[in-house]
Amino acid sequence: MSEPAALEVGVLDELCAAVDGDRDFVADLAETFLTDGARQLDELEAACTAGDAAAAVRPAHTLKSSSATVGGMSLAAAARQAEATARAGDVPTQELALMRGLWMPLVVALRSWIDNGGSG
Amino acid sequence: MSGAALVVDDSVVNRRLLVRHLERLGLLTTEAENGREALEALRAPGADFDLVLLDVVMPELDGYATLEALKADPDLLHLPVLVVSGVEELDSVVRCIELGATDYLTKPINPRILEARVNASLAAKRLHDLEVEHLERQRALTATIDRQKTELSRFLSPAIASLISSDDGEGMLAGHRRMITVAFCDLRGFTSFAEGADPEELLGVLGEYHRMLGTSIVAHGGTLEHFAGDGVMIFFNDPVPQEDHVARAVRMTVEMRERFADLSAQWNKRGYQLGFGAGIAVGYATLGRIGFEGRHDYGAIGNVVIMASRLSSKAEANQILVSQRTQAMVEDLVEVEWVGELELKGMSRPVAAANVTRLR
Repeated sequence: MSEPAALEVGVLDELCAAVDGDRDFVADLAETFLTDGARQLDELEAACTAGDAAAAVRPAHTLKSSSATVGGMSLAAAARQAEATARAGDVPTQELALMRGLWMPLVVALRSWIDNGGSG
Repeated sequence: MSGAALVVDDSVVNRRLLVRHLERLGLLTTEAENGREALEALRAPGADFDLVLLDVVMPELDGYATLEALKADPDLLHLPVLVVSGVEELDSVVRCIELGATDYLTKPINPRILEARVNASLAAKRLHDLEVEHLERQRALTATIDRQKTELSRFLSPAIASLISSDDGEGMLAGHRRMITVAFCDLRGFTSFAEGADPEELLGVLGEYHRMLGTSIVAHGGTLEHFAGDGVMIFFNDPVPQEDHVARAVRMTVEMRERFADLSAQWNKRGYQLGFGAGIAVGYATLGRIGFEGRHDYGAIGNVVIMASRLSSKAEANQILVSQRTQAMVEDLVEVEWVGELELKGMSRPVAAANVTRLR
């Protein structure tokens, strides 16, 4: 099984189809994710810094779900792992580092998709 | 499809996508970031939601706690809740359904499955709303009927009030023939008393007298046909059948005479000389609704009524005159003294009558 891609463009295409081809809406949703995702990532980092595993569950969970919505499958996978670790009572420091590393490529890919008018 | 949906999800991305799908289906949407906000929106004055889409993992108040609060709130108990969760979180879905969620949706949202589940939930909600509306209307109707019954029983005898409310009330009111016992009673000396007394005094004495009669009528299960000043007509065995109707009439009248003695002792001190007289007869009568639109009474018509009335008129103070037939039916119950054959107005032949002296 191959590594999940930073951005699975197919997910965004499916999303467009699901909203009757309204690409502007999906682009707008991706923008929203970029803002909100950064905030969730900061929240996760704050929880890890504070050594608070319980506080890490929710931002990890939210990122898992929202990044998957916009096709950020590798980030979603890392977030799922972070959530599992946090639920087990451990601070997901390693997963956070991985997610930080995956964040920038996803931002770049999404922004490219947004700006590119759909060529992906 | 129309309706109002509340979308509860802490992820703005998921929320916006759900809102978009729901608006496409024609629903009005409101967003809440967590369970606390959701409950606030649902309980806001004038809030009228048809559906809740609920995320599970949320800050402040999560999906489970939100569901528990919804199911504990009688106003929100029946609101359909669709739980939105990831495919790998089916355990949490099971728990939500155990807590009362209607159904679930997995992310990523499939618009067609969303539409089907939303439709089903809205249909269930509409059915429930209709049920509630129907129940409320029924409650209002029952309250009106109960109030009318109470009002009726204030004006009518309890037996007639309950007859009117019963299933075969209409048939009974339309008219029927039955053997009844009729008791008439009125006051000796009332006319001259009425002429001389103050209106307050007159109504005061009548009030005491009627109260006394009323207690005995109810105690013996009599049907009060009418009050006419000092005169009262009561019958038995209709509308409620009473096997011992003759005995009931006699016992009631004797009791009235005894209680009248107490009342009249007080009146005598005030200078009023009033006496109690009664007449009782038994026979067939036609019973039903008598009168005209807007002013009907439940009444009895027949020779038996005239006989009881005439006997009452002939009775002297403290006499209870009964027809021979009546006496024969309660021989074992009463001691009588025969007063001979009475010429009664409207009767072709003289009538043998007896005064009930006491119960055996």
